[in-house]
Amino acid sequence: MKSPVSSLPPGRRRSRPTTALLLAGTVLVSSGCAVANSAGGDAGQADGRTLRVVLTQEPPTLEPCEASLTSTGVVVRSNITEPLVERDPDSGDLRPLLATGWKQTGPRTWTFDTRSGVTFQNGEPFTAEDAAFSIDRAVNSDLACNVEGYVFGDDDLEVKTSGDNRLTVTTAEPDPILPLRLSFVEIVPRTTSTKAKVRVPIGTGPYAVRSWQAGTAISLSRNDDYWGRAPAFPRARYVWRSDASVRAAMIDKDEAEIAVALDSMEAEKDTTVAYPNNETTALRLDGREAPIDDLRVRRAIDLAVDRQGIIDALLGGLAEPAGQLVPPGVVGHSDAIKPTRQNVAEARALVKEAKADGVPTGRTITLVARNGMFSGVSETAEALQYQMKEIGLSVRVRMADTATQLQYQLRPLPKNVGPIALLIMHGNQAGDAAFTASQYLLSDGPQSTFGTKDLDRRIADAGLLSGEKRQKAFAELLADQNNNVVQYTHIAHMTGLLGLSPSIRYEPNSATGDEMRLAEVGPAEGAKD
Amino acid sequence: MFPFLRKRVLSSAIPLFCVVLGVFFLARMTGNPVDLYLPLSATAEQRAEFSAAQGFDLSIPAQLWNYLVDAAHLDFGTSLRTGQSATEMVLDAFPVTLQLAGVTMLLAITGAVLVGSLAAYRPNSLMDRIASLLSMTAASIPDFWFAIMGVLVFGVSLGWLPTSGTLGGPEIWVLPIATLLIRPFGVLVQVVRGSMVGALSAPYIKIARSKGATPQRVIFGHALRNAVTPVLTVAGDLTVGLVNGAVIVETIFGWPGIGKLMIDSILQRDFAVLQAAVLLTAVTIFALNILVDVCHALTDPRVRLAVPA
Repeated sequence: MKSPVSSLPPGRRRSRPTTALLLAGTVLVSSGCAVANSAGGDAGQADGRTLRVVLTQEPPTLEPCEASLTSTGVVVRSNITEPLVERDPDSGDLRPLLATGWKQTGPRTWTFDTRSGVTFQNGEPFTAEDAAFSIDRAVNSDLACNVEGYVFGDDDLEVKTSGDNRLTVTTAEPDPILPLRLSFVEIVPRTTSTKAKVRVPIGTGPYAVRSWQAGTAISLSRNDDYWGRAPAFPRARYVWRSDASVRAAMIDKDEAEIAVALDSMEAEKDTTVAYPNNETTALRLDGREAPIDDLRVRRAIDLAVDRQGIIDALLGGLAEPAGQLVPPGVVGHSDAIKPTRQNVAEARALVKEAKADGVPTGRTITLVARNGMFSGVSETAEALQYQMKEIGLSVRVRMADTATQLQYQLRPLPKNVGPIALLIMHGNQAGDAAFTASQYLLSDGPQSTFGTKDLDRRIADAGLLSGEKRQKAFAELLADQNNNVVQYTHIAHMTGLLGLSPSIRYEPNSATGDEMRLAEVGPAEGAKD
Repeated sequence: MFPFLRKRVLSSAIPLFCVVLGVFFLARMTGNPVDLYLPLSATAEQRAEFSAAQGFDLSIPAQLWNYLVDAAHLDFGTSLRTGQSATEMVLDAFPVTLQLAGVTMLLAITGAVLVGSLAAYRPNSLMDRIASLLSMTAASIPDFWFAIMGVLVFGVSLGWLPTSGTLGGPEIWVLPIATLLIRPFGVLVQVVRGSMVGALSAPYIKIARSKGATPQRVIFGHALRNAVTPVLTVAGDLTVGLVNGAVIVETIFGWPGIGKLMIDSILQRDFAVLQAAVLLTAVTIFALNILVDVCHALTDPRVRLAVPA
């Protein structure tokens, strides 16, 4: 029988697929190279004039009123835009920036004097009107800015100007830390849209956005009309790599000068710098669901955790055991509050006692943690699961993505999901425990599952105080949460790791993860200019 | 050929539609994106306004209907994350993945045909054993491990290649393509070898050899033609798989392709972009499958003759 294959003209069969394949290959290779080359050559090499920073992810937006988001703020804050005042990350003191001075001029009113001779990157002069506009836009508008949610309450601010350089801000209730809150409002020109968030901002900062190649890089160039000290590097360029080992490799390979959020595996390198990043990890126990609605069970979990063991084995020894939600340096932190020491026998006894009283201690608790929250998060979750099982509780781990974890973290909390122990990481960049307490400790706090009336009252009272009284009041209410509420099993005050090229000098501080001021980076002595 | 094509198009359209529907429903099962996009203090009105603006306040069937109607007009909506047109974002990202996948498959097929054919020419020879060992190893290595090791060895230790990125000359292609290449190459070598061993033992090959044909002529002139059909089928499947594999490569090496866009869209609950990306990818896979079938039919007319008109 004659094969149908051999009945076809041999020449056609031979040449067609080969030619098509070669043609396709040539087109793909040539078009591929064209794309790569067309985007190339833009400050990708170490030229001594471009500061190259590798981030973990591309900022979703550079909108200034979203600058309280880490991925946005690390690029925008104090680089592209500036606030009226800034907080010194080391001392916690407020320093003048676009405001030259401020004072409380009434129980609910603060007055700010704004700086003269400052221009925006579009050439327009900065006046108090711009500051008023920016506050109004970020806090009072319908834009639903994140800075509003994280820093300000539900009440609007009343903003007025007198002349070009004076601004008064009035709050609904007395607010002794209003200037601190305003340090989160980035100032933009009055021409900025109030109807929609902007993708590329204009500010008064030392750098302006030169280009944003979506998916690839954000390039900044020095603002030559900057009112302050000129930054050392004429250009800056941000790229993003999600894998920590690639970020570290980019420093080793001289492809970047700064790499953020490195793994503890890189800690021993000369090019890695550790810094306290104001983040605290803790296990939030849902006080509304059995068995963790029982104070004894929550205390038992607190006693079950081996903090130092987790830090040494899983966090590279680069953290400190925590006994409260805020680290040292934040108003309200108390050195007198010591981290709970592991005591398995006592924890078991508490669980046994609760069980004897009818608490369903065998009910499975879901321990929810977020992928990528910190290096070693899944191992930490497993260690916590083991330690909770050791005291007689039933626990399963659920690793979630950010959106799913947020459903567990934020109100309205999900229903019919059983008892939840949520691994959280809280960063208090504002430097005041009021921001923590209002979110995590109030009975109806956006990130709290329960509380007590007494604690709510103490939080409200502490928020009205200032100075030493404020410090004492918040320290006492943090201790009260540990003694009488125990919604949180605190684990560790965390440490950030930054990769730094030997060609630059930069000292990271507790704000670096959220606000990396490029103007503070300079070439190392002897580095090529 | 036309009846064959018509039947293939119709039979492939059903799974395509199912994929589009599946993504639509699965995306909505992951929850409301409002928590990701609005601040903690957002009022009920703001939440309602956000939901209404995005059409999330409608019933699921109504949302689906709107999506299908808009998609029919090639309007895939706006990204929640960036505010850009979803179509624009997808069309920007897709060529990057297409280039990676295309170059990878071209190299994989070429390399596999050469190595597989040489291994099959003398079964159980040293060359055959080495090729089998290497191909099995290549097919088994996890992509992410290979990518990271590539960065550490060729980027950092030897300093021959950049660690990542899309800016620069041809060297930027090496590690991403090598990572994508390794698995299809390993699988294809085994397929080519198996197929060629069968073809090389056929009577017509013995006749060709007896007539004094050179080994190259025997392999590439006679045997390969008849062994190519299963290779094409597997290569088609592997090309489809490359789109998934590109997720790892694009994430590690910072390539702004469709794989990374899809992952980012899933994590950010950016439904419009996710739906547009999946639809475009599904259509491409659909077209690829048709292309593979056409190639299959061209190389083996029994395939198209088997299809009733």
